Amino acid sequence: MKKVVTGVVGNDIHVVANRLIDISLQARGFEVFNLGVNTYLEEFIDAVVETNADILLISSLNGEAEGWCRDLQFLRSEYELKDVVFVIGGNLAVGEARNEDIVPKYQSYGFDLVFHQIDLNTGLDTLEKFVNQKRGE
Amino acid sequence: MNSLLQKEREIIVQNEYVDNFDFAEIEEFIKNAPKELFISHTFKNSTTTLVQPRGGFPTYNKMFDLYNEFMKANIDVMPLTIDSHTRLNDYGSAKKMLMLSEENEVDMLNGYPLVNHGYRTTRKMVTHFNKPVSLRHGTPDARLLIETALASGIFEIEGGPITYLLPYSKNFPLDKAFLYWKYVEKICANYSKLNEPINRESFGPLTATLVPPCITIVIQLLEMLLSLEEGVKSFSVSFAQNGSVIQDIVTSNVLKKTANYYASKIGCEDATINVVYHQWMGAFPRNKEFSDSLINTSSVISALVRADKIIIKTRDEAFGIPTMQCNAQSVANTKYTFKVLKGLPLISDEEEEANLEEEVHSIMEAVFNDSADTLWRKVFNSIKSGLIDVPFSPHIINKNEIITIRDDNNNIRIIEKGNLPISDKCFAYEKSKVKLSEDKTEVINKIICDIGVMHE
Repeated sequence: MKKVVTGVVGNDIHVVANRLIDISLQARGFEVFNLGVNTYLEEFIDAVVETNADILLISSLNGEAEGWCRDLQFLRSEYELKDVVFVIGGNLAVGEARNEDIVPKYQSYGFDLVFHQIDLNTGLDTLEKFVNQKRGE
Repeated sequence: MNSLLQKEREIIVQNEYVDNFDFAEIEEFIKNAPKELFISHTFKNSTTTLVQPRGGFPTYNKMFDLYNEFMKANIDVMPLTIDSHTRLNDYGSAKKMLMLSEENEVDMLNGYPLVNHGYRTTRKMVTHFNKPVSLRHGTPDARLLIETALASGIFEIEGGPITYLLPYSKNFPLDKAFLYWKYVEKICANYSKLNEPINRESFGPLTATLVPPCITIVIQLLEMLLSLEEGVKSFSVSFAQNGSVIQDIVTSNVLKKTANYYASKIGCEDATINVVYHQWMGAFPRNKEFSDSLINTSSVISALVRADKIIIKTRDEAFGIPTMQCNAQSVANTKYTFKVLKGLPLISDEEEEANLEEEVHSIMEAVFNDSADTLWRKVFNSIKSGLIDVPFSPHIINKNEIITIRDDNNNIRIIEKGNLPISDKCFAYEKSKVKLSEDKTEVINKIICDIGVMHE
């Protein structure tokens, strides 16, 4: 069973989406470690190390993600988390933004998959496909 | 008053943002305060549903203007909504933002910073309008805020250790919230001996997101008992419109019945229990005419459930804090609806009522059976173990195991019960009402639709 650490980054209290992600991941057969809303980047990394997770799924709704996730690349190499799949989804910018701009930006921060204003199930379908392909490699 | 509590009070009110508290003068004020300031008195002498909006502006002048607008709309109960810095006991930031609001005539706070204004100033406004004022906040540690409110002539205090914590906070310690609220109950109980009783009100809407009626009712009953056992004599249980008319009616009936039952079980049958109804607390339509329609429907339901008070919304709900004119118009509209709405039939559904009542008693029994020595500790343990589980609470102590969904009539049904101690029979009844797809993705999509049920 694949392990996922998830939560909402920063001073963001959007709990409804977080809970729906939790339920959806469980329904798809993942073992979920949900850190809930209002979670800091270091707490995510600690949880990934502690649970030996396969996937880190960060969500963000109030536009704070960019400020919080710039340090991810650094933390990722510091803790040797190369095999962990890093995913971010939600509203990833303040105000309107184009996917063509958002996706490369977050990829440069170290995310493997970036979902900006993508429907939850579409995002999770893509994630499952990605994880299966990775296993096949 | 026992000296240890008085000592704590003296410590609480010693704060760099607070003027000296003159407890003897405050007692004298409450003893001689006009009856019109006490909502407990208004409840006793009223035959219709009292109308109360929400509202709070940072400056004294703007708050005064808002009350003036409300008076013109023939309001029953004034609101005093507190800003979010004060809710988190950050009086320094509240002071700074209040100064900026006063200098620039731009609102830099989302409510009235009561502690910074102080009781001497606020009392002038409260006594000027001579209407009952209800304190709306959301504060886990409300000790100083409540001392200030009562000294100001605000004789209705909303909130409670569970209902002001589980929907709003991720990790404020729940045990501390219980103890801070115990202080509030004691202060309210003591002042209640001087004149008409101070009314305490619980916040029934919780997360306003697919909360099943049995959870709403159990939490209302427990906060009521925690309040009554400290000596409070007037208490309002509350709940919000949930999307199904019959479920609201059934909720109200069971809530009234069980509240009286459990109050008399602890020897508090002399306390007055009121029922408060909140207009739709979930996401509003962005079309303002539709919002008017939703608000009007809520008012009709509040009359059907025989609410003692209704807390209203405005057509601007989807867009932010309403203007004072818009807010006052909403008061006038609701008053008009009640004026033309007479001769409503008594409606209920016996089967639904029996099922809900059994669920409530099962959960209450499980809470009482906890081995802890005091009620608040029993409740604390019950929340921790998931005997009480609030859907969509952000708090780390909440179990988050139950799953609810709407049936064809929009009734909220439990489809995963987690550790909820309801009987197999009751759970089977809940599940029998919904036809669930085998496909989990469809279930999740249904939940998303059910949350946004009032969207156009």
